[in-house]
Amino acid sequence: MSASLAAECNEVKERYDTCFLKWYSEKFLRGNAQTDECAPLFTQYKTCLNKALKERGIDKMLEDAREDSRETDIEYMKPSGKS
Amino acid sequence: MVKVYSQANSYDYPFPIVTLAYFLRYPNPFSTHVLSTDVLDRTFDPITQRLHTTRLHLKRSKAPGAVLKLIPRSFVGASAQGESQAYILERSTVDVKEGWMKTESRNLEWTGVLSVIEKQMYHATRTPSTADSSGKLGKSSSSLDDIFKDSSNSKPPLESFAFGTDRTTDVTTMVTLHSTLGQRFKRKQAEEGEEKVGFFRSWSQASLQRSIEAIGLRRTSKSQPNAVEGMKVVLERLREGGFANVLEGMRRDREQALGIKGKV
Repeated sequence: MSASLAAECNEVKERYDTCFLKWYSEKFLRGNAQTDECAPLFTQYKTCLNKALKERGIDKMLEDAREDSRETDIEYMKPSGKS
Repeated sequence: MVKVYSQANSYDYPFPIVTLAYFLRYPNPFSTHVLSTDVLDRTFDPITQRLHTTRLHLKRSKAPGAVLKLIPRSFVGASAQGESQAYILERSTVDVKEGWMKTESRNLEWTGVLSVIEKQMYHATRTPSTADSSGKLGKSSSSLDDIFKDSSNSKPPLESFAFGTDRTTDVTTMVTLHSTLGQRFKRKQAEEGEEKVGFFRSWSQASLQRSIEAIGLRRTSKSQPNAVEGMKVVLERLREGGFANVLEGMRRDREQALGIKGKV
């Protein structure tokens, strides 16, 4: 399985990934999914990951980047393409 | 200015398997530069049966020498050798009923230098004799079981993965490269009311942007075929031995990647 950027989250990520792949192939791809059965494991993984993102300042970078991409999109839309 | 790379190709595998390989594509032997992959968000809509996923990939990247000649290293966060890391945000939506997957990946950093947005559209190749989609879903049941079985269940034939009569999946890829280099700098300068950019003055802004975009386009043209090869490796592993085989392959790729990293 692919590694998490935070080594301390690898274990819980692997448990989540395993659950997801099983759900995805057994339920989702057959059109039989009712709910996301791996949501509880995802919450655990997210808790670990969010902490790591915060510690590394990546959470802010993600916010900034989302802000930036909105700005870029707006610039794309300008008729002349120039600022 | 914007430069665009576009490519159409197809995989000789049914659509559901291709979407699975997409989620499982790292690590593979063509992706040793991908250091990590995390899921930031995932929502399943039971009404539309669509799955939305946001992932964050961390990739090792080397700022091209040509770029470093044009702009200061500190601008792209690169070391003296041009080594740096890049976060990529990937969004995807899979609609299994309609048989399509849409993806979008973009770089999160140094977007002021070059913003690279890759959009892909995957869809099941339709054949004239194909029944309606509900029929296809029913037939796929046993094949998907095979994938999840461990390696003791050796080599199910390709046919067992079949999803109705759709045996191939078409993909179109479009990469948009856009440099706004200098624009943000000018804006910042205006805000701060300072005059300090002799460096940017020596170039016309537009020609600098065009050069950066051209370098990005060359890189994209080189890396895109590798991305396709990487997907093919994962698809082949799925076909040969299901999940267990993919996981075993990943373990080997990861060890190899770590080995390479250790040597650098």
